[in-house]
Amino acid sequence: MTERLAETSVISKRFVDNLAVDGVSISISAGEIVGLVGANGAGKTTFIRMLLGLLRPDQGQVMLFGQAPTRATRRRIGYMPQSMGLYEDLTVAENLDFTARVFGVEPPPLDGDLASLGDSLVADLPLGLRRRAGFVAALSHRPDLLVLDEPTSGVGPLGRAELWETIHDAADAGAGVLVTTHHMDEAEQCDRLVLLSAGRAVAMGTVDEILAGQVTIEATPADAAAALALLETARLPALPTGAHLRLPGASIASVRSILGEEVPLTESDSSLEEAFMTLARDV
Amino acid sequence: MSFGFAGVSVELGGKTAIEGVDLDVEPGVVTAVIGADAAGKTTTSRTLVGLLSPSTGTVRRPKADAIGYQPEAAGTWRDLTVSENLSFVARVHGLAVGSDRHRELLEVTGLGPAADRLADDLSGGMRQKLAVAMAMLPRPELTVLDEPTTGLDPMSRAEVWRLLARAAGEGTAVLATTSYLNEAERASHVVVLDNGRVLAAGTADSIRASFRGSLGVSATRPVSAPAWRRGNVWRVWAPDGPLPSDATAVAPDLEDVVTAAAFARREAS
Amino acid sequence: MWAMVIKEVRQVRRDRRTLAMMIVMPIMLLVVFGYAASFDVTTIKVAFPEGAPAGASLPDVLEPVETSRTDPVDILRFGDADVVVVTDGPGLVAAIDGSQLFTARAAVQVLTSAAAQGVPVTTDVLFNPELDTSAVLVPGLAGLVLLFVGSLITSLGVVRERQAGTLEQLAVMPLRPRDVFVGKIAPYFVVAAIDMVIVLIVGWLLFDVPFAGSIWLLALGAVLFLFVTLGTGVLISTVSANQGQAIQLAIMTLLPQVLLSGLIFPLESMAAGVRWIGYLLPLTYFNQIARGVMLRDAPFEAIALPFALLAVLGLVVFGLAVLRFRADLAPSRAHDMQPVA
Repeated sequence: MTERLAETSVISKRFVDNLAVDGVSISISAGEIVGLVGANGAGKTTFIRMLLGLLRPDQGQVMLFGQAPTRATRRRIGYMPQSMGLYEDLTVAENLDFTARVFGVEPPPLDGDLASLGDSLVADLPLGLRRRAGFVAALSHRPDLLVLDEPTSGVGPLGRAELWETIHDAADAGAGVLVTTHHMDEAEQCDRLVLLSAGRAVAMGTVDEILAGQVTIEATPADAAAALALLETARLPALPTGAHLRLPGASIASVRSILGEEVPLTESDSSLEEAFMTLARDV
Repeated sequence: MSFGFAGVSVELGGKTAIEGVDLDVEPGVVTAVIGADAAGKTTTSRTLVGLLSPSTGTVRRPKADAIGYQPEAAGTWRDLTVSENLSFVARVHGLAVGSDRHRELLEVTGLGPAADRLADDLSGGMRQKLAVAMAMLPRPELTVLDEPTTGLDPMSRAEVWRLLARAAGEGTAVLATTSYLNEAERASHVVVLDNGRVLAAGTADSIRASFRGSLGVSATRPVSAPAWRRGNVWRVWAPDGPLPSDATAVAPDLEDVVTAAAFARREAS
Repeated sequence: MWAMVIKEVRQVRRDRRTLAMMIVMPIMLLVVFGYAASFDVTTIKVAFPEGAPAGASLPDVLEPVETSRTDPVDILRFGDADVVVVTDGPGLVAAIDGSQLFTARAAVQVLTSAAAQGVPVTTDVLFNPELDTSAVLVPGLAGLVLLFVGSLITSLGVVRERQAGTLEQLAVMPLRPRDVFVGKIAPYFVVAAIDMVIVLIVGWLLFDVPFAGSIWLLALGAVLFLFVTLGTGVLISTVSANQGQAIQLAIMTLLPQVLLSGLIFPLESMAAGVRWIGYLLPLTYFNQIARGVMLRDAPFEAIALPFALLAVLGLVVFGLAVLRFRADLAPSRAHDMQPVA
């Protein structure tokens, strides 16, 4: 059985008047990529901070490499926060040098687009390259567990694809990865997904498991604006897509009762995005 | 009469941020500007509203009181409430505070119940909707929003685009930049920027049709053809000539158009 | 741990502002305490409106000055001299300007020992008869409050907007740069003025600080001084990207004024080489105005020079601030294309 690198059991955290994380249990094993999806404010960052030992859960337990988080376990973790954790007033090389010294390893080489940028100040680099540099820094000590908070936010498609290649390479080499993302095509690349909504894990499993049974109604009204208005009043969320309106998680019956008999309706499988919208809504 | 650019180039910090850009933002239409980062999206929006001066070319924009602008991420005054933010915009434009328009926007954005909440205490999605409402309040002739959907969950993103469509419906010329390439499908007019130049402009369909060569999907990374990973598969590109045998042909979408361009440029340099 | 050290060194090396602070501050403090920090009085200006006494040899520290005025109180109010000696019946009386605290104390000492040696002179300290330190300090503190709110707090207020990114939005709204400018500093102007009034009232109630002169003169001086300090605050904000930098700059402009403006150490006691710095600082002139008005009921003519200098400083600093702020806010307004009608 593959090693369980990280495991949280029913952990919760409350901030004053806000239950940020409510009874979440997630495990990450070696070689697997777990995607954490959810809106901003759903509790992803708080969860991650508890996982890393930066925050103590009010309830429940966090285990890293079979024990409670300690300073020793930190050596085996590579963390890239949303802000990348790079010092803007240092060059790329200086940043990597710092990280390397802290972990007691050799600074990693710069290749690809970063090859010629070692002496550039991080502040002078565009976002995509900064993220790449942050990645290199997080991976520099070959961690067993990678925790990446929105590693591709703001990066163009080519950059994203390349960052994910690096993630796959790391997982193939045996690391366990926890990734948060807003991009559905990235979520699809994960071995398992967890959907957080208002602090709770409302869905967990592989992409197929989550999509099973999820249905979206597609409506093709003649007057889209009028139809949207009716649906809004009925509080049924609708996504305009070209000439159609997609209603995740609705039923033909409910839509018919709002839009009437004339509007053509078809039932189709939900996309991952639509499945998430339905599941998050049911909280 | 449309707003926009004619042959505009902008220099930033000694480098050319955008070059020779033609842009048309028509009233009543939502125009989306897409591209990878550093493509020039933010430079374009800032130049359009007058925060940056072009080194060449002409910019067509209305007077300051007919422009609504939301920069990337900043948008709202965090230590003011939702209502206070809207009231500030009203005052600045010489409009009545707490008017019907104010109430209408609160309702349309779903922010009514949160009217007295500090902008800082709103979720990201709600804050962005407030930002769009603030840009819409004075019924401007031109509204420019820089990445209004970045970082939002899919539901909120859809709601923001609905608001933009509503603004266009009121006759405003709307320009929104976005890093979610396929979101541009929701706009009537799309402009693709690549490294500071216009790669393609037109409807989403016409841009897709402008894809050079053919696109395929493969489960494994092809040996020789250019390819990039998306989801669990590889998108394989054959710019000239046929697709590799193990790739299934597939219609390219906007993200493919942008990725292929970025790829081609990188190979060329 | 070593890694942290290297990293910090590299970061600080690039941070010019912090470097400047680390190098400039100790040098400045050294200069101040070497040359400026002194309560020693080297000369006391004496006026003899009735003519110098024949044959008398004055102690070295007393330096006779000429004055066209004859009334001792006037002479002191106008600051022509620190001590005025006139006949009082058979003897002499020396009227001493109590608002020049250390000079007055030295004068009292000199004259008392002269009296002890048989010179028939009595001392009469005017304007601050108890030779209270607080009476002399409180007017300057009022200035300090104006300086603090005007420069430090104002600069933070503007920089906060820049840091939050909302300054850009203001630039695109139909607000003229001057609307933003005035709108931004107006609240601080009011707060500073209220603060000053509170300081003065507390000084009056708690420390019996007198207020002998014209409120309007002091108010005018305060307004002029505020122009300078608010202008400084805005200037600081135009060259600071974040609040930390603004605070650093504000401290670098505040500290010299506290130490070298005559607030604590009298200007006359400073070595000439350092004293000229004091003459460049706005607080120096406000201090003179405030002390003059509050303690000596100085008429306008007596403090016309500090007023004029403050006005000039105000124009320059405020003007610069407006220019920079406008350039900051709307760089392309100058090159605006003809807007589509």
